[in-house]
Amino acid sequence: MVSRKGDNVAQKNNANGLARAREKSTVKAAAVFLFPALFLIAVYMIYPIIDTFITSGYSWNGISSNKIFVGMQNWKTLLTDMTFWSSFGHNVVVMVFSILLQIPIGMLLATFLDAGGKKFNLFKVIWFLPYLMSSVAIAFLFSYALATNGGIFSSIASMIKGGKVTVDLLGRNPHALFAVIGVMAWQFTPFYMVYFIAGYGNIDTSIYEAAVIDGATRGQYLRTIAIPLLGPIFKTACTMSLIGSLKYFDMIWNMTGGGPAGGTELMATYMYKLSFQQFNMGYGSCVAAGMFLLITLIALLFQKIFVVKEDY
Amino acid sequence: MNGQKEVDYRKEKMKSRIAWGIAILFACIWLVATLVPFIFMIMNSFRKQFDMLAQGVFHFPDPWYFENYVEVATNGFFGYFFRSVIVVAISLILMLIIASCAAYPLSRMKFKMRGLIYAGIVAMMSIPMHVTLIPIFKMTTNMGMYDTLQSLIGPYVTFALPMSVFILTAFMMTIPKEVEESAEIDGCNKYRNFFSIILPLSKSGLSTLAIYNGVSMWNEFAFANTLLQTPANKTLPLALGQFKGEHAMDIPIILSVLVLSVLPMIILFIVFQDKLVKGMMAGAVKG
Amino acid sequence: MKRKFVSIILAAALTGTLLAGCGGSGSDSASTSQPAAEEAPAESDAAEETPAEEETPAAEEEASGEEAAASSTEGKNIPELTTEPLTINLWDIATEGSSKEIQEDAVQRFMADYPNITVNQVHQQNDNYKQQLIVAMSSGQAPDMYIHWGGGPMNEYYNSGFVNDLTEMFNTYDHPDFIEAAVAQSSYDGKILAIPFGGLSGCDIFYNKTIFAEVGIEVPKTIDELEAACDKLIEAGYVPFSLANGSKWTGSMYFMYLVARHSGNDEFNAAYTQENGGTFTSDAFVWAGEKIQDWVKKGYFPEGVNSLSTDDGQDRALLYDNTCAMMLHGSWQTRSIQDDNADWYKENIGVFRFPEDAEAAANGVPQNVEIGTAIGNGFSFNCWNEDGSVDQTKLDACFVLATQYFNDETYNQKQLDSNTIPSINGYEKTIEDPNMQVVAQVFFDASNVQLWYDQYLPASVTEVHKDCMTELFGLQKTPEEIGQEHDAAMQAAIAE
Repeated sequence: MVSRKGDNVAQKNNANGLARAREKSTVKAAAVFLFPALFLIAVYMIYPIIDTFITSGYSWNGISSNKIFVGMQNWKTLLTDMTFWSSFGHNVVVMVFSILLQIPIGMLLATFLDAGGKKFNLFKVIWFLPYLMSSVAIAFLFSYALATNGGIFSSIASMIKGGKVTVDLLGRNPHALFAVIGVMAWQFTPFYMVYFIAGYGNIDTSIYEAAVIDGATRGQYLRTIAIPLLGPIFKTACTMSLIGSLKYFDMIWNMTGGGPAGGTELMATYMYKLSFQQFNMGYGSCVAAGMFLLITLIALLFQKIFVVKEDY
Repeated sequence: MNGQKEVDYRKEKMKSRIAWGIAILFACIWLVATLVPFIFMIMNSFRKQFDMLAQGVFHFPDPWYFENYVEVATNGFFGYFFRSVIVVAISLILMLIIASCAAYPLSRMKFKMRGLIYAGIVAMMSIPMHVTLIPIFKMTTNMGMYDTLQSLIGPYVTFALPMSVFILTAFMMTIPKEVEESAEIDGCNKYRNFFSIILPLSKSGLSTLAIYNGVSMWNEFAFANTLLQTPANKTLPLALGQFKGEHAMDIPIILSVLVLSVLPMIILFIVFQDKLVKGMMAGAVKG
Repeated sequence: MKRKFVSIILAAALTGTLLAGCGGSGSDSASTSQPAAEEAPAESDAAEETPAEEETPAAEEEASGEEAAASSTEGKNIPELTTEPLTINLWDIATEGSSKEIQEDAVQRFMADYPNITVNQVHQQNDNYKQQLIVAMSSGQAPDMYIHWGGGPMNEYYNSGFVNDLTEMFNTYDHPDFIEAAVAQSSYDGKILAIPFGGLSGCDIFYNKTIFAEVGIEVPKTIDELEAACDKLIEAGYVPFSLANGSKWTGSMYFMYLVARHSGNDEFNAAYTQENGGTFTSDAFVWAGEKIQDWVKKGYFPEGVNSLSTDDGQDRALLYDNTCAMMLHGSWQTRSIQDDNADWYKENIGVFRFPEDAEAAANGVPQNVEIGTAIGNGFSFNCWNEDGSVDQTKLDACFVLATQYFNDETYNQKQLDSNTIPSINGYEKTIEDPNMQVVAQVFFDASNVQLWYDQYLPASVTEVHKDCMTELFGLQKTPEEIGQEHDAAMQAAIAE
């Protein structure tokens, strides 16, 4: 398929023989390189997602052999389902703040480490710790850290104001959502830090040397050379944060379970509850499919809008 | 002219001092924020549940209590640990190879399907993991792989792929195309180009991916819980379940399991973090 | 430097491949090894992969011990079990501690008596158990015998064809003398669908005896006395109730009891059917909601009650550090507290039943409706032939296992030792722990045991109910609004 299409292109272009041969060999090489990944993705991902779309057309409790085909009924419900759209709203809030918090802080940390060199290795290792902790541990520790009784914030507030002050972060809306966003930022910023360190590491040393010879200071080098060179890296980081926060599940599920009163309900937790706890697999699949479409759409739009200069 | 330059230099130096001061302050605040919860995890793993609840979690162990670790160690922890190492090592290596193969044509070749495949990869990143549980469970039982360690490799590799291809593509794009062109003039074909030029130059991207996916595979729970059922086949994240009862869980014991499972990751990170900063650092230290 | 990196990758790849070889062959041999008779069957998964119809040769060898007499069941009227090899897949959630030991022991004793039958006992994690069951059921891999908590999910499993009707067997054969409430909670649509085995759980107020003595209050008998006691506690600087309502079902306990004290079972049953004017906005529901909100305003609960989680032990923590004096909770808390610190438990913890509503009592509303579960856990059976008829051979074996090995003397004694009261008549007299005696007393004197709303209501209504509990305690919605949301969800569930 791939190679035949490539052939057509080459013929249409009617370029000279050499170019045609090159095009053909490129397509062939591309197919060879891509095959293993595409094969695995087809087996483990395409098939389940198709299955999800099919199930979304049924009214089904997830276990019975009695599946009732309801056509677009679930989709119609989804369009007016306030819980779904408010979950989507929470997801968008989480997304915006994740990108605004995790990426700039990660970038700052990376720049700091990059400028400091080896002597900051201890910083790097400790800063990375949150990312290594599993969601179970994070959920546990933060449900205590944010608790009204003896939690960190309540204790600090009491110390400042004098007397007992209760800071209820997880029990109220919209505070709970922002508390969770804070914890997520704490958990994932270290990854973006490592990611940008790698990005800096990918820049050819000679570029920096040349800049120094030209009399550039470190700051100038960063502003005018390094950061623009990180364009594609920066864009992928944003995309990852975007997709990651739109389908986030783990820590929220362990820490708030979507509560209080749905204040931290996300699309993924809503979908999980419907599918696996409320015997509503048909509609749960519809929510999953809707979620998939929304995330893909937003991610691809982002790719289009956020254009960076590509080297190739 | 000369004087002007001197002033500029001084100003620049002053500015850089202030910048460093602020940066260090910020760095130390962040250091506390990242370290403190971690210390609490370790501290609480050395306490009895009652002491922890009665004294509050933000209290030093009093008295220190080591039995948690003994209990964890004598409950098959090392078996879980070893199986996790096997699964993660195999999955990670396979995944890195397959992902870099796929990223190469997407970043450095021009062909018609490229945009479509790239978009498809982005779409695959958006799949909510839970919808795949039932289909993958069915597939695994049909293949007769249910309750075996091998059954995890397929899902682990595949679910790490889209994002890894996506990131590697970005990394490979930052490699100047002249590098490859000059090699092509030298008579290298695409395949040799990949192995001898592109792959070595992508190592910082590869190590980031190894860290990112290594950690998530190491902590992966949902697939492991669905696809494994015999204790003798289970991986480390499932070991927690041994200490979680129906109504109550022994939190300090769970924390000791978590401490023990995070330690090897920290050690690996300390050993390999150097690889991340090579490239530029060599020059930067001199400068 | 570059070369070093590559060599590390290569070395890692090599080790990986080697390990793959080991790992692969290791688990291969594990999955194809035949269950030798002495091998602990729970450890072997070969049975799992072999449909019961085609037995492995090894399993046939096991069948040699045919004449083995079922010693512990002698003289009892129970179905005669097959002498052919048979494999039963059993799912429970006994992952740790005494429950694991007790349940494994029951299975081992059964297999010792019936050597031809292999029970493949799998301990699932409680958190994800419902998900596991759905995945297995939808893939045609459902276990033959599995635990559940009764209520809405049990009905759902039955309606989907994953539960054998046990009514006839239950009436024909010997079985333990289960208490009435337990049989009722194991039934649906007039059919008996499960065998209880997890013991009963009451719901009562656990209180700190030391604090009560210090403040000088007696155990309250009526809600008015309870409120007076709370006011005294607040005066003395204590928070009356420890509650971690982040888990939602914890706050629901207060709501359920207040409704039950104010109206017995009547208003809830009416609201459940939504017929004859039954509604969640009726008098008792509104009264209960208002009472709770009044208590919240008066400071009867800790601040930020919705942010605390009972899974993380934050409610027990408030008892342990003497912030709070009482806690309304399931009776399993006696075991949790004892596990944490047995001495502290003995010294400080007492229990009393939820006080009565004097006014309602005067109007003839029964005051002995209790909240809780009479079955704790139940086993349902899922034994079918390929043509859809009942696999009676396997069902018989499951029935005997559940009624004669789980639930027998040995089993029940062990349950009692770990502070669980079997839901079988007669055992309440042998309890030693004074608190558990009270729990059992209250439970057995009850005119009716109302199962937790969050298990009794249909799953979709449960979710609404739980969210409403957050909003109730958070003073975000009025009791009327909450009732209306319940009604809407209930009507939607009935319509389905």
